[in-house]
Amino acid sequence: MKPKGLFYKFGFLSAAVFSCAVMSVNMRPTTASAIEIPTEVTEEGKNVYKKYCSPCHGEEGGGDGPLSRSMIPKPRDFTRGAYKFRSTPSGSLPTDEDIFRTISYGVPNSTMIPWDILTEEQRASVIPVLKSFSEAFEYREPDAPVEVGLPLRPTERTILEGKKIYEEKLECWKCHGVEGRGDGPSAAEQEDDFGFPIKPFDFTTGKFKGGNSPTDVYLRFTTGLNGTPMPSFAKELSDEERWYLTHYVMSLVQPEECEE
Amino acid sequence: MKKILLGMAALAVMLPATMEWALRQSNVVWATEQTTEELPPPDLYKDTPDWYRAVYKDNVGLSEGAGPFSKYFKPQMLDMYWQPNRHYEPMENLDHSIFIEQERRDLCVICHEEATPGIVADWRSSGHKNPKSTPYLSSRTALIEKNVGRVLNEVHCFDCHADTEKKQIRMPTGEVCGGCHRQQFDEFLREREMGRPNHLQSWEANTIVPWYAEAARRGYLYGQHGCDMCHSGAEKCDVCHTRHKFSAVEGRQPEACITCHMGPDHPDAESYGESKHGVIYEKEEEHFDFTKPLVEVRPGKDYRTPTCQFCHMYEKHGRFIHNPVMKGIWRMGTIPPSNLEYTSSLKDYPYGINLIPDKIDIYSEENVAKRSYWLEVCANCHSDRFADTYLKSLDQFMFQAHTLADQAQKIVEDLIADGILYPDAANRDPYPLSDGIVNELNADFLGEPVYNAFKTLKGKFPVVGPILGVYGMFLQQQDNPSHIENEYNRLWFWYKLQGYKGTAHAQQDVSWWWGQAPMMMSMTRIQSEAARLRREAGLEKK
Repeated sequence: MKPKGLFYKFGFLSAAVFSCAVMSVNMRPTTASAIEIPTEVTEEGKNVYKKYCSPCHGEEGGGDGPLSRSMIPKPRDFTRGAYKFRSTPSGSLPTDEDIFRTISYGVPNSTMIPWDILTEEQRASVIPVLKSFSEAFEYREPDAPVEVGLPLRPTERTILEGKKIYEEKLECWKCHGVEGRGDGPSAAEQEDDFGFPIKPFDFTTGKFKGGNSPTDVYLRFTTGLNGTPMPSFAKELSDEERWYLTHYVMSLVQPEECEE
Repeated sequence: MKKILLGMAALAVMLPATMEWALRQSNVVWATEQTTEELPPPDLYKDTPDWYRAVYKDNVGLSEGAGPFSKYFKPQMLDMYWQPNRHYEPMENLDHSIFIEQERRDLCVICHEEATPGIVADWRSSGHKNPKSTPYLSSRTALIEKNVGRVLNEVHCFDCHADTEKKQIRMPTGEVCGGCHRQQFDEFLREREMGRPNHLQSWEANTIVPWYAEAARRGYLYGQHGCDMCHSGAEKCDVCHTRHKFSAVEGRQPEACITCHMGPDHPDAESYGESKHGVIYEKEEEHFDFTKPLVEVRPGKDYRTPTCQFCHMYEKHGRFIHNPVMKGIWRMGTIPPSNLEYTSSLKDYPYGINLIPDKIDIYSEENVAKRSYWLEVCANCHSDRFADTYLKSLDQFMFQAHTLADQAQKIVEDLIADGILYPDAANRDPYPLSDGIVNELNADFLGEPVYNAFKTLKGKFPVVGPILGVYGMFLQQQDNPSHIENEYNRLWFWYKLQGYKGTAHAQQDVSWWWGQAPMMMSMTRIQSEAARLRREAGLEKK
């Protein structure tokens, strides 16, 4: 084939790749920061909350809606301002974007579906409603989001280092089990701050509750999960060590079990 | 180079036509392109009169009951799950319409995987989740694809539970199942041809009787679980193919029948289960191949003994049908045969009442043919003479049992005629829902004499024997019925039927000790109770 032909071929391919890239940029959902989150409780927010959230979370946000009684895990009680999935340090309130993200992404392995079925405005409108249930938001501001250190690329070594932390330094296996199935010797005793039994996460499912990207998992180790026995390891582990641990727990995922 | 390019261009132009030609040659017609025969949508109440549809099919939520006496009572809330067409109301706590409007199929499973993991696991292991997982399933699915005109790679929550017109969740009835499983649906519908008792009209059997509505009116509805949980089988397929697996294999196993077919009025589970047929099934259960459709079952190889389904769903001449009532002759044993000389009022049964079937002529052309179809089933293992002799002995058992029942009924009726029944009808509660019977029914349903009796006497008269006399087993009222009437009810409705099932299913102990022996003992009790009443009446006269 003549070089000219080759050029055309690659020319076409690169055009195709470019247009795909453009399309995917256009199709990407608008990120949380790009949408406006109201600061005050609005009528719309109240209505959306009442219709779609209160059946589980309760009219007053106490996690005690009519559907909650048969649910395990129990729906979040918003009155304490304790939010699991945050970008802020342990014990801090979440940012509005954190809440928006949980609403939009849902919580895998729970009845909290991704509420992307609602418009972005609707989702944003319930955030002030949720916050209104807890006094904490009146007195405090969320701390600044934690800094996400430079991500490491997973290698055999980082996974091995993570394994050492999991098995020896932090003894994660006591709750999460040797194989990461959430069946460690202390698993059955775990309780959340609301007094409900809570199951340590089963890493093999691959459905990470706060998101499936390495950064999401890293964030859980850094911020902890407020209201649960899962603490933050921001102090115990260095930035690199938290990446090691991230790589290790992500290596525990069993792809064939995820397919289910 | 130019020639090659030209050739390629020509090929490109011709390609679609070439492919179409090739496809035609190989007779491939994609499911979506197949023409479908236009059928009216599945209707459980097909060919029923308007008044009937209005009181059974039309949705009234929980505002009133079902059947001719629907205005006299409100259903219990559970009835919405048991009679979805009539009573279902979508949940108020969480409005599901947004999921249906946006057709977000993915969200059903995401939430219910956690909210109700059992049903999702059931569905995952069902043919609905993987309708092409085996060659057999694929072939069945292909037939359905042809009929419904779309490709089915997964039958999803949405397909059955989403009412896309009302934008609501619905509780599927057989009509939803029939959308795809049309043959099974239509065959099930044929139960109506055979008349009651059957499955299709079992809710009718529940609610057309006045004692049910009377009990409901008096607030005794929550005692009716025993009736409702079986008689709700009318509209739904999950009675035999439990949700959410909806397995044909499950439906072919005898255990699928036993939650309803057991107990004093029809001890099928007990009589089949303890018969040689049932015992062999129990001992060799693992050798039974329930994955095979009944029509492919090789007796002695796939099944060593018959199952409920194998005998009762055999239609005739090697064909099976998707309902078990087609060959029924004795019809649960409640209906008197016309082949006997009766001494009691049974000679006039059914007294002009059009709501209940006529006497059965065991030797009618239709029943003789049905018997020959039974013999075809038996002939898989037994000689024709043996099987015929056995079934004739069953007929003789039934004639004797009905004769005994006639004698017992005569005793009770003589007491009534002589004014000796105590307490007498004038001094006890009236017949259940007599006012409703007069208001809601008419001479067309009840016949002139019976309707007039209700109209003039307002239920203050005794009703004895099959089938309207059985109310004493379903409703307790002041002195009604009296002891002797209830004893007679036990004789004909329990012991006679138990003996029937024991004999029909070849379970000797059930035949004798649950049937014949209690029938005779009951007869003695009726005789001595009648003697006591007569003696007391005589003493009173003096």
